[in-house]
Amino acid sequence: MEVFARNLLNGISFGMVLFLAGSGLSVVMGVMGITNLAHGALYMLGGYVGWTVAIQFEMNFWLAVFLGGLASGLIGLSIERIFLRHLYKQPNEQVLLTFGFVYIITNLCIWIWGGRPRMQFTSPALSGLLDIFGMPYPITRLVIIAIGLIVAIVLWWLQDRTRIGAIIRAGMDDKEMTMGLGINLERVSMLVFFLAAFVAGVAGVVGAQIMGVHSILGLDILLVALIVVIVGGMGSVQGSLLGGILIGLIDTFGKSLFPQLAMFTMYLAMVVILLLKPSGILGRRV
Amino acid sequence: MEALRVEGLSKDFGGVHALSGVSFSVETGDRLVVIGPNGAGKTTLFNVINGQLSPTTGRIFFFERDITNMPTHQRAHLGQARSFQIVSLFLNLTVLDNALIALHGTKPSRFQMFWPMDGYQNLMDDARKNLDAGMLWEKRDEFVKNLSHGEQRRLEIALSLAQNPKLLLLDEPSSGLTRDESSEVIGLINNLGSKITVLIVDHDMSLVFGVADRILVLHYGQVIADGTPEIIRADPRVREIYMGMEECIDHVGAG
Amino acid sequence: MAARGSPLQGLIARFLPWIGAGLVLGILPALLPSYVQSICTKFLIFAIFATSFDLIYGHAGLLSLGHAAFFGAGGYAVGVLMLHTGITSFWIGLPLGIVVAAAIAAFFGFISLRVSGMYFLLVTFALAQLLYSVAWNWLWLNSPGMQGIAGIPLPDLGIPSLTWNTIYFYYLVLVFFCICFYLVYRIMNSPFGYALRGIRESEIRMQALGYNTWLYKFIIFVVTGAFAGLGGVLFAYFNRLISPVYLGVGTSFLPMCMVIIGGSGTRIGPVIGAMVIIFVEYFSSLVTPERWPLILGGAFVVAIMYARGGIVIYLSRFWKQIGYRHGSIEG
Repeated sequence: MEVFARNLLNGISFGMVLFLAGSGLSVVMGVMGITNLAHGALYMLGGYVGWTVAIQFEMNFWLAVFLGGLASGLIGLSIERIFLRHLYKQPNEQVLLTFGFVYIITNLCIWIWGGRPRMQFTSPALSGLLDIFGMPYPITRLVIIAIGLIVAIVLWWLQDRTRIGAIIRAGMDDKEMTMGLGINLERVSMLVFFLAAFVAGVAGVVGAQIMGVHSILGLDILLVALIVVIVGGMGSVQGSLLGGILIGLIDTFGKSLFPQLAMFTMYLAMVVILLLKPSGILGRRV
Repeated sequence: MEALRVEGLSKDFGGVHALSGVSFSVETGDRLVVIGPNGAGKTTLFNVINGQLSPTTGRIFFFERDITNMPTHQRAHLGQARSFQIVSLFLNLTVLDNALIALHGTKPSRFQMFWPMDGYQNLMDDARKNLDAGMLWEKRDEFVKNLSHGEQRRLEIALSLAQNPKLLLLDEPSSGLTRDESSEVIGLINNLGSKITVLIVDHDMSLVFGVADRILVLHYGQVIADGTPEIIRADPRVREIYMGMEECIDHVGAG
Repeated sequence: MAARGSPLQGLIARFLPWIGAGLVLGILPALLPSYVQSICTKFLIFAIFATSFDLIYGHAGLLSLGHAAFFGAGGYAVGVLMLHTGITSFWIGLPLGIVVAAAIAAFFGFISLRVSGMYFLLVTFALAQLLYSVAWNWLWLNSPGMQGIAGIPLPDLGIPSLTWNTIYFYYLVLVFFCICFYLVYRIMNSPFGYALRGIRESEIRMQALGYNTWLYKFIIFVVTGAFAGLGGVLFAYFNRLISPVYLGVGTSFLPMCMVIIGGSGTRIGPVIGAMVIIFVEYFSSLVTPERWPLILGGAFVVAIMYARGGIVIYLSRFWKQIGYRHGSIEG
């Protein structure tokens, strides 16, 4: 029973990281039609910046989270403004471009922070165990779950309850019509892209509490985020949350029950969804 | 012989009824023009007849054959051809390449992977004939994206005739054309002969009345009128929809 | 299109570049030191790989993000063959590698083509990663105690008196490069190649013209998979080692770079791109090996933004032969 509860909480907390990592990717894909392969690199960058703030300069953890997000958000925004914007009608070229940036960002991170494998990054503020029904459980993971929920609620509120969210959803459905109504979709798109990158950076700092920071994260996280998007569906906060938690649970229980299968459980879920409902559980028809 | 029969066609897009209970039939050689305000469902109708969309309910018969669920490319083999409202030519290829590809669509050699296209002399001759008809042979080595809008429209129609189709669907052939260019299009359609059946969607009234044997009026996805040009011109419901177009209809009708 | 000067001059002008290239590729390496021959061999192998990628990307317009899956599969087939059966015959390894790569391409193609647009990209990417993961974890695909398969010998051609050295291997690869180049050239000019470009430009119109576009896309998946597999087979013999890296994203990125920098949708663009990248990689390894990915990524971004036609567009001003007869994605 304790094993089950532990797995459950581990799966959910891991899933929250996946949600945070994947939500930005999903929304940018759904809203702006851009497949930003550099999203994982932005996650990684956030983690590195957060590490510098929290561990190297020993500053407040929440400050690290914020600054990590900010760094990623700004880099992401500049990629969009300086480069992607000019490739508006060419989706293949956009994707290729972001692929190029994975290399650039990853190598820059190695240059700045060194190629050390897996830097440990557990903020002292979050250490310790909490007693849950007699089972000691790391506070870190509980905080992660909390952060995930809060971000989910905020994003959902933005998406469904604000004017900006309505504009975004309208833009997703019919870009020309929305622009034709005089709405400055470009400005909103910039905001969306920045926000998505920001969340990715935050995810990097938060996720580092469980997984550390290392230079291959750029691609590893991208892959996982893509699976979350495929499984959960593109373009909605709910889809990413569902996808993230589902994959988190599948991966955790999978590794616990069939250790030799390792990453396969995630891939299996992806292939199953692709064969049954390619647009994802909560996605629109592709 | 009945070329096309459409029964009870409906197309829903999650709550929006793009087409509702559309039924009509067309005899071989007819020229049927579909008109209606924007959003009336005209292009949706074409998409369903040609297979880009499947109808929610209803059936389509092409020369007595039920093609309701047949994929688009097979309908081309049965003799359908279509031009598109939004330019869908092969922009980054030359005019000649566009023609060669169009001509090859229903030939078995289109899967051939080794012998060059240049070697098909018959095809090259047919391409010449096809482009000559559209007066585009001199421009055969130009990239289509460099052609003028009028030339692109001419090419679009020329390509749709490449396979000697039995049913030709022209979606807004005069869109963006000048008066003179439109007259050319009208002339072209009128010279197509009685073996080919033509369905047209358009807004240009001089084209509509210059070409149509019959007019179908769509409004909010429903057929509200179906008859000869005289009947349609006199129909009060149609006049109501086209308020302000009354003068236009009267004026054109006289010419 | 009148030829200037006499017809003979016209003929010579048309074939001169090919003769020149033939001399350079055929004779020059024999005169160079053996480590340069090695680089030339690597360039040819990747030229095959890049050309296969251009077939599906430059001509069919499908961005297959996991192309290394087919390349690596070819290599693994050779490795596994040697590891588990001891067979080192080239005449078994080669067809096996090509067939395995084509089979995997068929499987990937079938799944990926169920979706389109953005999803297609994601799926091709994720499937390649899946294969990478399998290669990493499945013990059967690894030499004992390590990642990948080592100790792949030089190919056994069944010619008893033949002892290998660098230049012989180079010529072997050159032969296959020429075959591959020729075949791809034929495909590009055939009705099938024309149809691919039509699909790239407007799939909807192609369907309305009578083309079963799914079938074309599926076939080209298998064909490019086979060519990539050929490259992988040659690579396994060249590298003497095959590992999951060669199935992964890093390897998938290389043909993309080569095609973009060289010029997509053209006959020799991928080849030029391969030459540039392989040689610059070598020079970079002498000066600043750690910054190579940055250089590569930077050059790639610059090429996409400002030089979409690739190097070929500059060359084509001098030589009509390698110009854009078939149209391509211009900047």
